[in-house]
Amino acid sequence: MAEPKTKNHLWLHVSLITFTMLALYPVFWVLALSFSGQQSVGLIDLPKDPSFFERLRGILPFPAHWSVKNYVEVWTEQQFGRWLWNSVVISAMTTLLGVFLACTAAYAFSRFRFPGRNTGMLMFLVSQMFPGTLMLIPLFIIIVKQLQLGNTYIGLVIVYATTSIPFCVWMLKGYFDTIPYDIEESAIIDGASRLTIFWRIILPLAKPAIAITALFSFMTAWNEFILASVFMESEANYTAPVGLRFFVGGFSSQWGFFAAGSVIVSLPVVALFLQLQKYLISGLTAGSVK
Amino acid sequence: MNLAEHLKRSAVLGLGFSMLLSLVLGTWMFRAEENDLRLQQRQRLAVLRANALVLAVADTDAAATRSRVQEMQELNPQIESVIIVAGTQLLASTRAEDGAPRALKREEKPLYDLSNLIRTARETNRGEEVVRKKTVQIEETTRGHLVVTLPYLSGGEYAGILQMKFNTAGADTLGDKADSIALPLWMLLAALLAGTFLRLHPEKKIDLSKLIAIGVFLLIALLYQQQRIERLEQIEVQDNQSVAADYLALAQQYDRLGILSLARDPASVNRWDTDQYQRPLGLIGADGRISTEGQARQFAKRAGLFKPILWAINLLTAAVLLMFIYGYAARGYAAFRKNIDAYIYVAPAMIGMLVLVFFPFAYGIALSFTDTTLYNESLPFQDRLIGFENFRHILGDFNVYQHTPDGISWNYQNFYWTLMVTVMWTVTNVTIGVSVGFLLAMALNTDGLRGKAVYRVLLILPWAIPNYITALVWRGMFHPQFGVINQVLQMFGMEPVAWFDGVFSAFFTGVATNGWLSFPFMMVVILGALQSIPKDMYEAAEVEGASRWQRLRFITLPLLKPTLIPAIVLSVVWTFNMFNIIFLVSGGEPGGANEILVTKAYKIAFENYQYAYAAAYSTVIFMILLVYGFFQTRITKATESF
Repeated sequence: MAEPKTKNHLWLHVSLITFTMLALYPVFWVLALSFSGQQSVGLIDLPKDPSFFERLRGILPFPAHWSVKNYVEVWTEQQFGRWLWNSVVISAMTTLLGVFLACTAAYAFSRFRFPGRNTGMLMFLVSQMFPGTLMLIPLFIIIVKQLQLGNTYIGLVIVYATTSIPFCVWMLKGYFDTIPYDIEESAIIDGASRLTIFWRIILPLAKPAIAITALFSFMTAWNEFILASVFMESEANYTAPVGLRFFVGGFSSQWGFFAAGSVIVSLPVVALFLQLQKYLISGLTAGSVK
Repeated sequence: MNLAEHLKRSAVLGLGFSMLLSLVLGTWMFRAEENDLRLQQRQRLAVLRANALVLAVADTDAAATRSRVQEMQELNPQIESVIIVAGTQLLASTRAEDGAPRALKREEKPLYDLSNLIRTARETNRGEEVVRKKTVQIEETTRGHLVVTLPYLSGGEYAGILQMKFNTAGADTLGDKADSIALPLWMLLAALLAGTFLRLHPEKKIDLSKLIAIGVFLLIALLYQQQRIERLEQIEVQDNQSVAADYLALAQQYDRLGILSLARDPASVNRWDTDQYQRPLGLIGADGRISTEGQARQFAKRAGLFKPILWAINLLTAAVLLMFIYGYAARGYAAFRKNIDAYIYVAPAMIGMLVLVFFPFAYGIALSFTDTTLYNESLPFQDRLIGFENFRHILGDFNVYQHTPDGISWNYQNFYWTLMVTVMWTVTNVTIGVSVGFLLAMALNTDGLRGKAVYRVLLILPWAIPNYITALVWRGMFHPQFGVINQVLQMFGMEPVAWFDGVFSAFFTGVATNGWLSFPFMMVVILGALQSIPKDMYEAAEVEGASRWQRLRFITLPLLKPTLIPAIVLSVVWTFNMFNIIFLVSGGEPGGANEILVTKAYKIAFENYQYAYAAAYSTVIFMILLVYGFFQTRITKATESF
């Protein structure tokens, strides 16, 4: 058994490396495009009747000339900086509001027994079943048409925060349940109020779970495209996703700006994702088994 | 006996609360009815003039049309402006700065779209010989300023649209005569007074004081409602009178100008006073006389709409009264006081969810029973109600393909085509995701493989990148002229493919993109499950002489099942709703053939502006997911027991 094993591994490595390279090709392609200093979707200007090797050179993810021009100009000549700022503000506000709402509700669900508790938790679960498009049209009519909150931060923030609540509440409640009740009981005997207990004891103890909830809310807002494109009509109010699509959607094809912008937008979420994947996966599968 | 005790024992709280609720809800509803009546009145006056104009220019040449429209606008100061659009031409306009006749400008495209919308509505009504679609579009931009658009006919044929801006200020005969607040206040006072003298015994099932309380409540509530109904009827009568007067005055103007000789024959139909389907209302004859039976019919129709609401209000408020006099309210309040902390903690999230998730959800469902579009959304809700019409249209249209001389031609706009594409899309993608994920997980689970962690992190990257970026990147790589994928094809001497022009190739672009971003999830989930399978099971099987295939078939697959099934269930829902990939990669091209249900609903709402139709479409999607969820839980339960 020992002898063929090494041989198998060689072939396994070869096929795994090949697959990985192919799978990562789009990533390299965007990186190459972002450093190419030009706007075309092709990396190289091909001659009229290109040979096999010229074509091969054209698909290799290395730009003809290395340049950071796209990164500089996407900030200076385009509104990308502004869009990124909009995204940062909206995501940050969503995180604050979402975490606040989720923490208080999860605490009550975990620690109090009150009439309506089960109904409330079930409502949160059921709301996860509503498909996005069914919500999109009424939300558009209510928020943009009736409340006139289109093109504002607040309109998107309240919608994002409430859509992330159910997941966050269930996750936090699960964590709060693991904190022993004895700690609170002794605090009550010492004369602490509920608010003090919540603020001084529970929240500090639940820091890891709160951090994950916060990052989840942040990523929800940061990566959202449809609602943002419907709510934000004027160019100055675009969020980063809507702006990136603006570069290459419709009749414009500024692929260089798109690539540079994509790299900037993706880096933080990819880093966060790789850190958090364990929790996300366990949360997702746990929720679906239930 | 102190005051608090007295309040507890008497019926004053119960009667007061339920009466207040009944009066507030009732007043609110009748206010809405009155506002609706007034809007209807404004619309009638506008439609009257618009119909008159269309009839006056129906058989004239272009120059005469322009001068007639101009004349009538000058005679009627309430008409702010009139334009006629025929095809891509602005045929006539009373605004000198428009410089009609000329071609429509680019920013006037909405007018052209509106013209097409009305033409289709008219053709649908004709073709089906049922009046189903409104041919008159009315929009109230600000209160009192109406924009009416209706078909412009030339020689009996559809030729375009006539749009009239109409200012009804001063045309509102009733004005804003606010109804007195005194009456409901007196009624509330009477209820409170009666309540003070009634002593309650919550423990008894039935006693005289309870009966009196209920009697007093019903008496006052019904009296008030009767009074309001009479008032509404009176308003309707006055409205008819004022429209009749207006009609006669307008008729005289037309007579005097010699444009139109009105038939004063009492038997002929009044073709000016119509509803939004351009059917004569039958309330006012051609001679200006009011038809009493038409009026009664009109009011009965309105009463049929608001009576059920009144019944609902009465039931609700009576239930509140019963809750009070049987002591439930007091007990509920005590429970609320006891758990006040919990409710305060839950309230912010709960209110947020109610306002921004549950209310919009209900609103979306309600919207699907209307015919709301961008052009009529300012109308009151009940005027837009059309029942199950949208659903009938979506689900009842089986016109999926046609036989043509060239073979079968598919109707890409049909719901069942889109449903079929969605199902194929979901099945293909989940199959690819599971198989690629499974192969990779098996590879990465090999004993003693070096660099596992590196492979795992690198292969998880496609999942980590925001999916809208992935979609746009693949769109670039599939670029028909400069895209990398066509370069590779050409490298091996193949012809480049116009990816987004063919039904199958465009479908493939979506599948490739989605496959790329969905395999990591499956890989990670399966890898986790594989690692939890005890190694000694394989060793034991090997000792027993089981082949590789047998080990896979009888150990790995059964043990993977509990993890794999929830993961598949989840990814089916994700793929079914995967808006970004379809919308951003192929955009449903060619000709909408590759739309999936969710992108289709989006396009109906935000490109055709048919909000209600899109809401109905989304409701159908929700129903499909609900049915799927139902079966999915049954399947999951079955596998759990296994």
